[in-house]
Amino acid sequence: MASVDSRRVGDGSGAGGTFQPYLDSLRHELQQTDPTLLSVVVAVFAVLLTLVFWKFIRSRRSSQRAVLLVGLCDSGKTLLFVRGNSLNLIDLPGHESLRLQFLERFKSSARAVVFVVDSAAFQREVKDVAEFLYQVLIDSMGLKNTPSFLIACNKQDIAMAKSAKLIQQQLEKELNTLRVTRSAAPSTLDSSSTVPVQLGKKGKEFEFSQLPLKVEFLECSAKGGRGDAGSADIQDLEKWLAKIA
Amino acid sequence: MLDFFTIFSKGGLVLWCFQGVSDSCTGPVNALIRSVLLQERGGNNSFTHEALTLKYKLDNQFELVFVVGFQKILTLTYVDKLIDDVHRLFRDKYRTEIQQHSALSLLNGTFDFQNDFLRLLREAEESSKIRAPTTMKKFEDSDKAKKPVRSMIETRGEKPKEKAKNSKKKGAKKEGSDGPLATSKAVPAEKSGLPAGPENGVELSKEELIRRKREEFIQKHGRGTEKSSKSAKSDAPKEKGKKAPRVWELGGCANKEVLDYSAPTANGTPEAALSEDINLIRGTGPRGQLQDLDCSSSDDEGAAPNSTKPSATKGTLGGMFGMLKGLVGSKSLRREDMESVLDKMRDHLIAKNVAADIAVQLCESVANKLEGKVMGTFSTVTSTVKQALQESLVQILQPQRRVDMLRDIMDAQRRQRPYVVTFCGVNGVGKSTNLAKISFWLLENGFSVLIAACDTFRAGAVEQLRTHTRRLSALHPPENHGGRTMVQLFEKGYGKDAAGIAMEAIAFARNQGFDVVLVDTAGRMQDNAPLMTALAKLITVNTPDLVLFVGEALVGNEAVDQLVKFNRALADHSMAQTPRLIDGIVLTKFDTIDDKVGAAISMTYITSKPIVFVGTGQTYCDLRSLNAKAVVAALMKA
Repeated sequence: MASVDSRRVGDGSGAGGTFQPYLDSLRHELQQTDPTLLSVVVAVFAVLLTLVFWKFIRSRRSSQRAVLLVGLCDSGKTLLFVRGNSLNLIDLPGHESLRLQFLERFKSSARAVVFVVDSAAFQREVKDVAEFLYQVLIDSMGLKNTPSFLIACNKQDIAMAKSAKLIQQQLEKELNTLRVTRSAAPSTLDSSSTVPVQLGKKGKEFEFSQLPLKVEFLECSAKGGRGDAGSADIQDLEKWLAKIA
Repeated sequence: MLDFFTIFSKGGLVLWCFQGVSDSCTGPVNALIRSVLLQERGGNNSFTHEALTLKYKLDNQFELVFVVGFQKILTLTYVDKLIDDVHRLFRDKYRTEIQQHSALSLLNGTFDFQNDFLRLLREAEESSKIRAPTTMKKFEDSDKAKKPVRSMIETRGEKPKEKAKNSKKKGAKKEGSDGPLATSKAVPAEKSGLPAGPENGVELSKEELIRRKREEFIQKHGRGTEKSSKSAKSDAPKEKGKKAPRVWELGGCANKEVLDYSAPTANGTPEAALSEDINLIRGTGPRGQLQDLDCSSSDDEGAAPNSTKPSATKGTLGGMFGMLKGLVGSKSLRREDMESVLDKMRDHLIAKNVAADIAVQLCESVANKLEGKVMGTFSTVTSTVKQALQESLVQILQPQRRVDMLRDIMDAQRRQRPYVVTFCGVNGVGKSTNLAKISFWLLENGFSVLIAACDTFRAGAVEQLRTHTRRLSALHPPENHGGRTMVQLFEKGYGKDAAGIAMEAIAFARNQGFDVVLVDTAGRMQDNAPLMTALAKLITVNTPDLVLFVGEALVGNEAVDQLVKFNRALADHSMAQTPRLIDGIVLTKFDTIDDKVGAAISMTYITSKPIVFVGTGQTYCDLRSLNAKAVVAALMKA
């Protein structure tokens, strides 16, 4: 078989006219070789081809068109998912025990990540929000095609809600300390895992603009001004989603 | 009488809700989800939250959850049946909407279930009223009144037989009165198997009655013990002829035949049996060679790949066949299918040092989660169950907010008070060693540490800590840190009160500006009540920021007992509304177990608190944090 292949490769650049006698000689060669060996080679080739097609189809199906909704528990992800009209939204659970598992599963097919923050309870939950955001940012930076990030400050209809600017400042401050403490934590059990990525620039205070990803902030309210029945105040969100898509 | 009934999808969309009272049902339902479903405690189907009892049912095929809530003090017997009926009706009525598994269809569908639900509720309430407990039988109606007096006269020789008869009759009567009280809950099969004698109304002759009652009695007591059935069988023919004294199996007797448990069937060849035993004892094969270990291949198809390539091809081929199978008809998992796999998984977990009852509860919860689920086309029962178990194990190992000690210390620094950590645990688990390791880690990160020697009992405890302090001081001398002493030992010798020393240590740290105080306590067994009280007092009085329970990875079923009793002691002796319980776990001696890492699961399952540190040796650098995926991989590895 090897001789046939090499000859094929060697003369492959020949013009079409020389093909015909070539094919005849090829057919002659094939008839001469051992039929079982030939069938084995053909079978292996068919299997490899199937595998390649399979992987291709698989990757095609889970192409990067999903928008993930992440955030702590009770931040309003599911309501946003319900009110948001665009397809390809994926609502991930916020509970601590589930969030990392689901993030693992869906992060490769994510084109954008919407991190939902409860603006009213933000002051209390700053540390938890920052910790989860840190985790999501680290994971996203490790991906091949980094998704775009949007931090949606939800529940703006409540009077005590903080503005997006304030939330951004507080998160930057919190992430500044968090990146130091996280990288100083003892290494995990199998120390062959990757070295933790450093967020932002080392010497300077952390800012979202230092990240290689695009991070934007905006305000929204999934419930809307008039309670459940009112239309959700999510025009900004939808505009951003349309921009991304 | 129900407080609420709600149907929601596993993704959190409420499909339908019935509220009997004006209180919102979201609070209790959220608590149910958080404490039961997400923590894999879904083995039994009821949950108590404040004043309500919640009963729930999972529909794994369509990913729905049915929850009903009612007041704890009421005992409503029709609730289980009601849930089942509602489940069935809802599923049949809205099959098309919920079949598509997509959220859009769930949202767009309207679930106008109110009338059906009220009808079912009314039916259930009425049926429970019918089956209210009956009044007691009057004496005239009972069997004893019907029996002639002559049969009840006792004579000396027949006393034991009479006693047996009466007790059997009592047992049978209890059976009879249990019948009308049978509720919607399934009555255990054994009881229903026995015929309700006195209810029959057929006039049996006296001897037949006696014989039947005796057999029932034997049957009832003879099920558990094998020897009783043997002696019962030998008794029954004897009783038929003469009135020999009754042999009580459970009471012990001096009868030689009954006490002789040697095999009755092998009557000719005791020597042959003996030679066989010797062979077994010697453990050699017929030719005198050692028999090889035969590693029977486990019957999980395709679940032990040697390399990825063959498994991939096998997976693809299996996938293609599975696709064909999927075209034929999808299979939904039933409990019987999962039984054998779950048993194997349970034994595997126990072999990996997970505590026995936790393994049982885990498998129950996984079975509950998978029952009725439609399997994907490319999966077998074994792989589905394994996958589900793996996910739930990872879930258990990441219970709550990670304890980020450095972050919290920085907070405490800002507030100008020291961050106090207390180490507690039983004897010999490695509290002092791991305390030294953690101080080393903190010193490396630039925090100053005060070590409080509150182990005033064990000989050499203070000296041990002094040696550690000296070493750490040598590694981080004050010159390197601007003249500030980075590590110091606070001790008051032996025999003093530990809580008092801890309080003085914290005050000293505040005055001197130390960042962290690490309090070392004496090891104590969880059953030792006075010592547990002392520990609880130390923690209540000093309110440390972090209470770490130190447990060794070698522990097996003991872990459950230790943690439960420690937590209980801390809760009982605390005066506060929300008592300080164990906040985190330090798992030590991890290098001594290869992959029998089950102790990690047991401990986090019991407390729902995270494992903060893992100790993997005795030098200062042997401190790690937990990697949930690696631990679960080691656990599931065959």
